[in-house]
Amino acid sequence: MVHTLFNLPLELLESILLQLDPPSLISASYTCRALYRIASNDPEVWRSFCRNYFRLWAPHHHIAAKFAGPLSAVDWRSLYFQRVRTNRETSRLIEAILSSQAHRLAHMSRILGFGLDAKETLLKECACPDDAEDVLARRYYAKAALDMIHRESAIEVWKRLDVGEDIPMERALGAYDVFTSISPDVDFDTVHHDISRLAEDLLKQNPQFQTTSARDQASIIAGFLHTQGFRGVSNASYRALHNSFIGYALRSSSHETLPLISVAIFCALAKCLGLDARPCGFVFHVYCIVYAPKDYTLDGDYKPTSSSELHSMYLDPFRSSEEVSPGDLRRVLREMGVPTSDHATFLSDTTTREMVLRTARNIMNSVQTIRQGQVHANGIASPWPYQVPDIDASFYSSIWSMMLLSPNTPTQLASNTTINNTPHRRQYLPYLLDHMQIHHPWDVSLIERHAIPFFSGQREGLQLESFVSTMRNDDALATCIKPRGGIGAGENVRYYVGQLFYHKRYHYEGVITGWDTSCSQEEEWIEQMQVDKLAGGRSQSFYHVLVGDKSTRYVAEENIQLAPPGTEPTPALMQMAGRHFKRWDAEAVRFVSNIVDEYPDD
Amino acid sequence: MAGEDAKTVTLTTSDNQSLKVDREVAERSILIKNLLEDLGTDGAEEIPIPNVNEAVMKKVLEWCEHHRKDPPASQDDDSDSRKKSTDIDEWDQKFMQVDQEMLFEIILAANYLDIKALLDVGCKTVANMIKGKSPDEIRKTFNIQNDFTPEEEDQIRRENEWAEDR
Repeated sequence: MVHTLFNLPLELLESILLQLDPPSLISASYTCRALYRIASNDPEVWRSFCRNYFRLWAPHHHIAAKFAGPLSAVDWRSLYFQRVRTNRETSRLIEAILSSQAHRLAHMSRILGFGLDAKETLLKECACPDDAEDVLARRYYAKAALDMIHRESAIEVWKRLDVGEDIPMERALGAYDVFTSISPDVDFDTVHHDISRLAEDLLKQNPQFQTTSARDQASIIAGFLHTQGFRGVSNASYRALHNSFIGYALRSSSHETLPLISVAIFCALAKCLGLDARPCGFVFHVYCIVYAPKDYTLDGDYKPTSSSELHSMYLDPFRSSEEVSPGDLRRVLREMGVPTSDHATFLSDTTTREMVLRTARNIMNSVQTIRQGQVHANGIASPWPYQVPDIDASFYSSIWSMMLLSPNTPTQLASNTTINNTPHRRQYLPYLLDHMQIHHPWDVSLIERHAIPFFSGQREGLQLESFVSTMRNDDALATCIKPRGGIGAGENVRYYVGQLFYHKRYHYEGVITGWDTSCSQEEEWIEQMQVDKLAGGRSQSFYHVLVGDKSTRYVAEENIQLAPPGTEPTPALMQMAGRHFKRWDAEAVRFVSNIVDEYPDD
Repeated sequence: MAGEDAKTVTLTTSDNQSLKVDREVAERSILIKNLLEDLGTDGAEEIPIPNVNEAVMKKVLEWCEHHRKDPPASQDDDSDSRKKSTDIDEWDQKFMQVDQEMLFEIILAANYLDIKALLDVGCKTVANMIKGKSPDEIRKTFNIQNDFTPEEEDQIRRENEWAEDR
């Protein structure tokens, strides 16, 4: 008998097909009916493609369960096709975003719809080569889309918390890390993974752990965390922004944390090890309450009781592994003037929601401290490319979480049973919209999906709807063209889009992103800025400029001083520039325009 | 002398040829290894291998000889973890430079004799002959008749359009 590919038992043929990459498998399946039938219908091949060619999956796939389940329960080939199509569509949308300013919001919104399924493609775009023709723009928009996807997955966690779902504390707090895209190697899974790894290490060092009493377990955990380097934070860096980020704290070498995060890590680790520990929302400080199992004392003695109350003790894992006496805590409350009737509130355990909100306030405090310290003489500072986490992203994260999770005021609770959060929550909307319009207008999709339903039936809901539809309409319009030739056009405008300059009076660095042949601001602005006192007055050319501190400004031509040859833009400006420009042209001392649809002659 | 004998076995191939090999080499084949254990002999009897002829068996034993000191294949073989590592070590690559008929014979023999590593090398070798080729080139390589109607061909191409430029 002559042996050919087709004489092989099916099982061997499948082993061969399993070695192929997808394009080769497709090629092989084109050759004849038999191979086509085998290649298309072999679930193992397609499952292995799904497993090996896609690292990240949106949560709705429940991919881990699918991989663990029976092979035949999933149409792997369709799933594979779907993911490939998503990747392609994501690439296509990024190209569309890069090629024109029109429909950008719509394109971003479609990428958002893919969620984490789009992440790998976006990461690939972020890692495009330094000499790519549109490197700055490509990286900027791929990152913008990815950051938005991260923000949405954090928002979804908080929304689930809001409707009363049981969300693990480290997940609810890790949402801040995810929202701010704190670093490429921190996400929900890494937070969970880091906690589990700590639990494994602890058990290795303390093999007798499970047989000891609750009191001893608590002490072992606290001592273990201390030796692992989790020692809270010194007074000097107490206000450092990163102290509020659980994922960052777990990964960083210093493991610096605020008390709240120390307690959260303690509780998460305890839970992982089977010990009941919960945060206690004390005044200005978060403690931890460790509970003994029902019918047992903290020392492990069996003591059956009909009471549902558990034996408990207080800990302050931020400071030490020693037990804190409840008497001391009561004394502190008395000294602070807290009425005895309220003591129970501060001494009992608190909710995950409260922990998330406290974190929002801690973040907000840090952001304000940093912002106050940052104002220079001329008001321009752009250290942000070196700051982790990003201050603006942190601010934005706390606004979102407070809007989604803020509680009712106590009076509302007492007076009516129907819960209405809107009055308290609407106060965050202006900040949210303001931030979003300046930094990432494409978040209009997030507003649409997560804020509008929140205010449905309210005045705010209607306002948001009209806001969104205005933005969407503007997005769909073709950009208004500003050529240099022709009547009334910018032939007298001296400088060009993309040119790097320094402000003559304030000395900050900026790049021109647009121009008007004369000042086009409203009268009030012109007066306030004393435009008429300029030598050239309001009739000279004015420029829209982007500044390294993320602001956009409007500058008179006479205040523009072009950067001399050999100048390089600062890293801050380089990162921002991608929003309007393709790349930096060192020879021309100028960014290459990616807005030629608006300024065709620049 | 008995000690030395215990280290060799004699295999009888399908074309009734006897091949004497070191037991360690023959035991690269899980089939033979189990057989020897079941027989409990010191290898004095001849072991019949009715599915493999002399030429192929010699080739297989050549591979076993070269790999006699390899650590045994790990048992926790996750079928998906094979991934796309189609790298084959240099000696194996050379070893597999045989005509197609022999290649398939080796694969079948490795499968029958239960020599996982050799089966793996064989499958990878065939996979490498497919990789990066157009359907036409694959047909030529393996002498496959295109039995699609033009309509079917059209339809399949449309169905798989996404794969074209990847």
